[in-house]
Amino acid sequence: MYGSASTHDLPTNAPTGLENEDPTLLATFEARIAKGEKIEPTDWMPALYRKQLTRMIEQHAHSEIIGSLPEGTWITRAPGFRRKMAQMAKVQDEVGHAQLLYSAAETLGKTREEMLTDLINGKSKYSNVFNYPTPTWADSNVISWLIDAGAIVNQLANAKGSYGPYCRALDRICAEEAFHLKYGHDAVVHLATGTKIQREMMQAALNRWWPAIMTFFGPSDKMSVHTEILMRWKVKMASNDECRNQFLDMYVPKIWEIGLTVPDEKLAKNEATGQWEFTEPDWEDFKRVINGDGPCNAERIAVRRAAEENGAWVRRALNASKTERKYVQPLA
Amino acid sequence: MINSHDPRMNRLGLADAAAPAAAKPALDQFETYEVFHQKKENAPFTYVGPVHAPEADVAFLFAKEQFSRRFACTGLWVVPTSAITVTPYVGDQESAYDALPPGAVWTGLEPADTTEAQSAAYSAGEEDYDIFHLKKRGKAQVHVGKVRAASGAEALQVAKAVFGEQRPVVNVWAIRSADILRSDDDDRDIWASTPEKKYREAISYKVQDRIDRFKNEQPQP
Repeated sequence: MYGSASTHDLPTNAPTGLENEDPTLLATFEARIAKGEKIEPTDWMPALYRKQLTRMIEQHAHSEIIGSLPEGTWITRAPGFRRKMAQMAKVQDEVGHAQLLYSAAETLGKTREEMLTDLINGKSKYSNVFNYPTPTWADSNVISWLIDAGAIVNQLANAKGSYGPYCRALDRICAEEAFHLKYGHDAVVHLATGTKIQREMMQAALNRWWPAIMTFFGPSDKMSVHTEILMRWKVKMASNDECRNQFLDMYVPKIWEIGLTVPDEKLAKNEATGQWEFTEPDWEDFKRVINGDGPCNAERIAVRRAAEENGAWVRRALNASKTERKYVQPLA
Repeated sequence: MINSHDPRMNRLGLADAAAPAAAKPALDQFETYEVFHQKKENAPFTYVGPVHAPEADVAFLFAKEQFSRRFACTGLWVVPTSAITVTPYVGDQESAYDALPPGAVWTGLEPADTTEAQSAAYSAGEEDYDIFHLKKRGKAQVHVGKVRAASGAEALQVAKAVFGEQRPVVNVWAIRSADILRSDDDDRDIWASTPEKKYREAISYKVQDRIDRFKNEQPQP
């Protein structure tokens, strides 16, 4: 669901380390990508490529697993049996996506255990939008429709990237997302075209979520050396602004057609440039929340940690009979 | 204490700021198994990805959930990652067999072999190996057939003689057939329920009528 290549990029002044790489190997690597061939786990790759991809896929995986929490919370309270079943299927998909992505990241050398430990210690990030709560069923619907929609924009771009295992995972993920998007749209349309109370609930949820949605793709990319290299290596496939603009193009008309409004008076498409204009999101607030001070940061991590700790005895029991084992990275 | 919108979370009584979790051993959450699925009857088994599991039976359960939950599937194989012998990856136009270090010259049993030669092979300590080819980087390994050999490395040499003419072959996997846990043909009905859950299909959600009706009901400007 929730991939975002850009939320927590390397600081732009970090060294690229490229001067330490073997120029012949680097040239072969870059030529392969330029030809449109994918990179596979046992290929030589520059340290920066490995580092940035690990960070990106790991954050994507965390976002899936943490992102399933605000929707998961509504399974028991979803209106009607069919919606409960569908909400449950969607949440299960998201957790499955996390597993696919952890495995893809693992092929780059970081174990799944290290990633999960970094998550519950707050060392690794996940998509910032999940640090906000879903106080009503309509909030859950906004995630199902619009956050998933944003994620699909990102993921379709990333699926054309250069790393084989990530592409394979994303192909599968995108196929499953098609249901999420339609399911979310259906749920939002149902409320937006329903009774007055239903409409108001939907509008209130959209108003709550809009600022977070506008930050979903990250701040405008500064064209740094890193951005240029990561685009050449097909790690980053589109700029944050391009993704945001594509999202607005596709979904604002769909929001308007069901009688909902967007809580931003400046929001309008400039037909001359093809670009949407909008109120700049509050990036200071974004930074504050991503660094731990959001309404749900503590809860999200605590739930994940409880799952980890409460499952420890099961893992111990299952591993008890094992004699000597050696860690082997997944292959692809 | 965490104060959540979700009463179930509150019942967990979670602490606000717990001490940092200690690092765990790399195998705390199990080793990996690689999974192959068969999309429809008679189609070749194709690689779909890894699962983490404590043993093959559990790996099979996880794999069924992970890879056959949402899409048609008629068979599943799981193999411990450590049991797979792999060649290096080569370019999309090349053959990974050309990159194999020269090995023992193989004397030539064809895949459909005579019983006599077969029993000779087995008595020489040889076993069946399943061979998989990757045709293009970024795609998935596909089952191409079986060979007989005494080790994974030898199986790659044998496969070179049997399948080496195929082009391109970006990467080859050899797996001792006995190491693969396979779904049983007799248990086919385990796949039958996958298409039943229509609420998981995008096609079940048709909202356009409702949107049109809503638009028609709005007062015209």
